[in-house]
Amino acid sequence: MSSLHSLLPTAARGLVSSCRSALRPGPLASVVSTFQQTRWASKASVKRVKSQGYKSNKDKAKVKGKKVTNKEFKQHNLKDMEQFALCDAMRYIRAFEVGRQPTVSKYELHIRLKSKRDGPVIRNMLRLPHSISTESRIAVICPPGSRQEKEARDAGAVLVGEQEVFDAVKGGNIPFDRCIAHPDSMEALSKAGLGRFLGPRGLMPSAKMGTVVEDVASRVEMLRGGTTYRERAAVIRLPIGQLGFSPEQLRDNMRIALEQIKKDAAAMNDRIVKEIYEVVLSSTNGPGFSLNGEFKSDQTPDTTSMHGP
Amino acid sequence: MVNVFKRMRKLKTTDICKSTQLLNVRVGTGAAVFPAAPSATQEFPAITRLHLTYARKIYGGHQGARHFWRNCLPRLKYHNPGIPMTVRQTEDQDGPAALSVYFAQKTSTTAASLAAEDLKDAHAPAPADNEQVAVLDVRNLPYTEIWNKVKNLTNATEIPATTQEAAELRKLDEMAAKSKTDRTRIAAKRQVKKDQERMLKEAREQVERLKQL
Repeated sequence: MSSLHSLLPTAARGLVSSCRSALRPGPLASVVSTFQQTRWASKASVKRVKSQGYKSNKDKAKVKGKKVTNKEFKQHNLKDMEQFALCDAMRYIRAFEVGRQPTVSKYELHIRLKSKRDGPVIRNMLRLPHSISTESRIAVICPPGSRQEKEARDAGAVLVGEQEVFDAVKGGNIPFDRCIAHPDSMEALSKAGLGRFLGPRGLMPSAKMGTVVEDVASRVEMLRGGTTYRERAAVIRLPIGQLGFSPEQLRDNMRIALEQIKKDAAAMNDRIVKEIYEVVLSSTNGPGFSLNGEFKSDQTPDTTSMHGP
Repeated sequence: MVNVFKRMRKLKTTDICKSTQLLNVRVGTGAAVFPAAPSATQEFPAITRLHLTYARKIYGGHQGARHFWRNCLPRLKYHNPGIPMTVRQTEDQDGPAALSVYFAQKTSTTAASLAAEDLKDAHAPAPADNEQVAVLDVRNLPYTEIWNKVKNLTNATEIPATTQEAAELRKLDEMAAKSKTDRTRIAAKRQVKKDQERMLKEAREQVERLKQL
């Protein structure tokens, strides 16, 4: 009985007790019932107070919950973070990456933005002055004998043409990592039925992916030396250099990347304010170093020989 | 991005990952400067590059070489940022575990006793015209012994920890000791709680059983 009562809400409990007293009238009933009623009442009142207390807590939690879903990403205080000059960070990273292939290991840049949780994100392509990718083999599908074919070849595409590419792919030999197409060749491409071969590898040109373009040559150059980047959870991560780069080369690449990202941020809607909050230099196998914007510090040794393996 | 304290902890303390600790790169076995062009002497010429070759698995005495790469090479690289250091991991367990030290002009005077003359490292880069190579056989040697060999061969000057770094090291040791005692303390606490819960559960089960009878 008591367990039932403890399960019921206070109001219902009162109801039950009143019912029972009505159903079982007896000589003692009135006395007992009143006694019980008072007991329950006192209990209920305690409960009510308690529940009120609980409610107020809950309200607080609600308020807190609202605070947690802040519209901005949380910004940590960078005073707690030790920051490094570029050359010092490079010195550590080169020590952590010792013995690795200097063309395989890469420096990475992580750019933390001040940004809202809901809102447009930065997403763009970038061409760095010192190319990172050691090799990127590109095939271009364009009408044979056209101006584009010559330009694409000059830009460094490994496989150019229509029938040549189709034959190579159908022969089971795909000697490229990227494939772009000229709009004039799209008809031939769809007729050739390459989707079965290229589709699973993600190489099928499509306008949606930006791999069907008029200006084939510039896109080839972009793909060979460029990187794509996008903002995820207010951080842009992109490779910024090979491990064998000198500090000057890395600085040039970083400068271009940061300028472009600032431009991207400025080009957004007027109401959207995005700015760079922190820049972290990391590498394939190394930890991340927050940069303080200086090139070198007093402790930096001679930087002229800081390149190569 | 991960929160600032976690990132700092990763760089500062050993408990998460020793290989990402900055102090560990500055101080320890192999924290030394090789003789460079200005400090080179007739007996010990300047070092121009290092190359290490060893096999992928540890049997056949290749463990020390790998440990040398993991422990000493980062410190050497940190203190000698200009000296190229390359590592080649082969599949050949019976092959050599060799450390090639490249000297400017001529090898040091200790090279005659330390270097293995008949050892050929096919993976090491060919020395330039003004370089001489001394190849150390590092098979079946622990990395500390490899380091001693290298030190004697090149006359590298070890860099002792500064007072600041020593204090930091002491603090880290204290923290490690403290976490050891804390670990046992907390484990005991958790065990007591678990025992209590288990006893309560057993008691409840007994009551249930009695009710069913």
